[in-house]
Amino acid sequence: MSAEIGLAALTLAFALALYAIFASVIGARRASSQLILSGRNAALLTFPALLLATGALVGALTSEQYQLSYVYSVTDPQTPALYRFTALWGSQRGSLLLWSLLMSVFTCAAIGLNWRSERHLMPQAVAYMMATLAFFLGLSLFIENPFARWWILPEAPPAEQVVSTVLIPPGAIAPTDANLRAGAEGLNPLLRHFGMVIHPPMLYLGFVGFTIPFAFALAALAAGDLSTGWIQATRRWSLIAWICLSCGLILGGRWAYDVLGWGGYWGWDPVENAAFLPWLVGTAFIHSVMIQEKRGMLKLWNMILVISTFSAVMFGTFATRSGVIESVHSFARSEVGFPMLAFWAVMTLVALATLLWRWRRGELRDERQFANLLSRESLFVLNNVVFIALFLAIFWGSFGLPITSELLLGKEVTIGPQTFEFYVVPLFIAMYILMGLAPLSAWSATSLRRFGAGLKAPLALTMLSILALALSGTSLIVAALGYGVALFAGYVALLEIFRGARARRRSLDEGWLRAVTALFRRNQRRYGGYIVHLGVTVIGIGVVASTVFQTETQHTILRGEAISVQDYSLRFDDFIRAQAVDGRLMRIAAVTVFRAGGEIARLRPRIDDYPQMPMKIAGAHSTLENDFYVLLMGGDGERATFRIYINPLVNLVWWGGVLLVLGTVVAAYPKIVPK
Amino acid sequence: MKDLSWVKPKQPQKRKRSERLKFIGVGILILLAVLYLLISGTLQGARYFITVAELLSDPTNHGRTVRISGAVDGESIEYDSEKAIIRFEIVNIPNEYDDLAAALREALMDNSAPRLKVLVEDAAIPDLLQHEAQAILTGALGRDTVFQASELLLKCPSRFEESAAPEGLSQIPEHK
Repeated sequence: MSAEIGLAALTLAFALALYAIFASVIGARRASSQLILSGRNAALLTFPALLLATGALVGALTSEQYQLSYVYSVTDPQTPALYRFTALWGSQRGSLLLWSLLMSVFTCAAIGLNWRSERHLMPQAVAYMMATLAFFLGLSLFIENPFARWWILPEAPPAEQVVSTVLIPPGAIAPTDANLRAGAEGLNPLLRHFGMVIHPPMLYLGFVGFTIPFAFALAALAAGDLSTGWIQATRRWSLIAWICLSCGLILGGRWAYDVLGWGGYWGWDPVENAAFLPWLVGTAFIHSVMIQEKRGMLKLWNMILVISTFSAVMFGTFATRSGVIESVHSFARSEVGFPMLAFWAVMTLVALATLLWRWRRGELRDERQFANLLSRESLFVLNNVVFIALFLAIFWGSFGLPITSELLLGKEVTIGPQTFEFYVVPLFIAMYILMGLAPLSAWSATSLRRFGAGLKAPLALTMLSILALALSGTSLIVAALGYGVALFAGYVALLEIFRGARARRRSLDEGWLRAVTALFRRNQRRYGGYIVHLGVTVIGIGVVASTVFQTETQHTILRGEAISVQDYSLRFDDFIRAQAVDGRLMRIAAVTVFRAGGEIARLRPRIDDYPQMPMKIAGAHSTLENDFYVLLMGGDGERATFRIYINPLVNLVWWGGVLLVLGTVVAAYPKIVPK
Repeated sequence: MKDLSWVKPKQPQKRKRSERLKFIGVGILILLAVLYLLISGTLQGARYFITVAELLSDPTNHGRTVRISGAVDGESIEYDSEKAIIRFEIVNIPNEYDDLAAALREALMDNSAPRLKVLVEDAAIPDLLQHEAQAILTGALGRDTVFQASELLLKCPSRFEESAAPEGLSQIPEHK
């Protein structure tokens, strides 16, 4: 029954999305408010229809309806309840449905919040949002249908007797429940992790979220209203999408760190990079819109950025889901590849053509010109250039070089992580320096003297920090170019908050806490931005420490023996074999970790033997100073092999992520107006 | 009475031009720096992504850092946990295929397909290193015809792809 309900709801949602496009476009052209409202209502109705479709699939997953081939391929009778639910995004078909549901949620929210204020842009915006939704629903309905069921064709040749189809083939019979239960495959063990419970939906929310500013931008181009209205309407949407994408990337890193067992969190894999690319252009966009709002400049550039962000989202989705990119993370090779590539190309070309048309008519002229190289708008533009350079470098290494070489040389040429690091390290250094300089400048023009005066304190603090690090044994290059640039940006952010609060204290005689709170309330966007800068500083310090100073060692020892690394030692106490509730066998090592002779932790690194594969689960003793991360590589009752990583300051990467999200929430939160 | 009208003084043309020149200069410098990064990084780090057959048949590939892909023969996997050394063999898979899982399975069943011994030093044995996995390796072929890999990535499509037609579902006589 779930299959029938789900299929009907999915078909209805597809029809509603198509109708919403038609009604909105025709309604806008004929200025028919009835048609426009009808299109809006159809767009709103896609949400309940998709909620029903998704509910039907979740119901089938949780009630073990293995006749649905999707349920069969991502769960088995031993799958715990939580992972039955998260199996919704455990594979291609379910995750496409979730993508569509989230798209309809964003569309409804955008209609709800912007219908009155941006009435003239809404019909076109709804049409673009629904075009994206209809495309994904079409994929779900015609190529990757999550409601397809197993059927047996007794008369067919043996190799073609079992088929997975949406409609019941003539003469087909259903497999028995017992047979289905026995053969069900279960969720990929790599996806049974907290990070994977949240990481994919967050990433999809980020991807889907950037569709809203894109739709509004194209609506503005179509309607010819190229004032800052579309930017004001979508600023918050951009920030929400950016938060979600940031969370998705950070949680993906945490998942890799916990699950993949290599002591790292970013491997420059094409699929990881495909998710990072929209983040880079999106970050450039949320900085550069401020210049258009404040100074009426960069109108053309902002349009290019918002189109590029959407384009990067679509390309990233194609790269992840088509299976044509060689990556450890990609989905299986699928027929969705070509339609996705076509959709990406069509939407990007339509957007660029409309933009070119408006630009040639002179409708995207800036209201002011850049006056001074040290002005805030100039530094923001430089910051944009750095983000775009990062985007181009990572795109070139991940996709441009392999595709170009295949076309020109007939052989694919690729690059490894070291080359990516060669590309990005100087650009990230430039990014941190600009992140420090921009807040010290003023809009329009800044004199060199004023700029120098603002620079003194953060520069002095940075120099002192570099000196302290160099004296404590850190190499001068790492101290200056690694920690130094990150600290400089952080000190500027902290000092700006301090200066603002001090000024309030002096003029209004407020206490520190009240002054800081009032400062944030008064200018949420600016001071929220500083919190984001602090988060990026903390992440930078964590990344430098955990990559440059990581220690790694591997030894086989007998029970009772110990491995020493730095001032730590790990003693192998016991080896236990056990079985978990879900049936997997576990090989567990009981170890005690000592530091400077004193016991600090008892860990249980283990190997889980799933039917599909063994999986190493690390034991970690985490402090802010470092992670003592140990993997059980194998062994028996008496001997065991351990691989130990000491990752200095790695937890700053996650805590920096929390700060970054917190800062963005402050910046995006609706302004509290006192009564 | 003083005249209170005020006209914004025009910015001297010379100053405007010099500011514009500054912007163009900085832009060109950044562009050149990014181009330098991309070109020099690519020249240093680029590697051909080739098949096992292409690696073995072309002597110019020997000793050169390349990226190869092949099907892992599960029976050949050896792990020296004392020295953290992984040894295994991969079998050639063609450049073009429709179904990776089928391509890997067929490659391992083809006794005439080119095979390559692989050595990975100082590495944790990956969970996905198993029979019928696709190994993507970066490294160089040594004179001893062993491929010394510095980077090892694995994909296990037969374990994780949704089955097109699982065996066993149709093997129940009472269904007929």
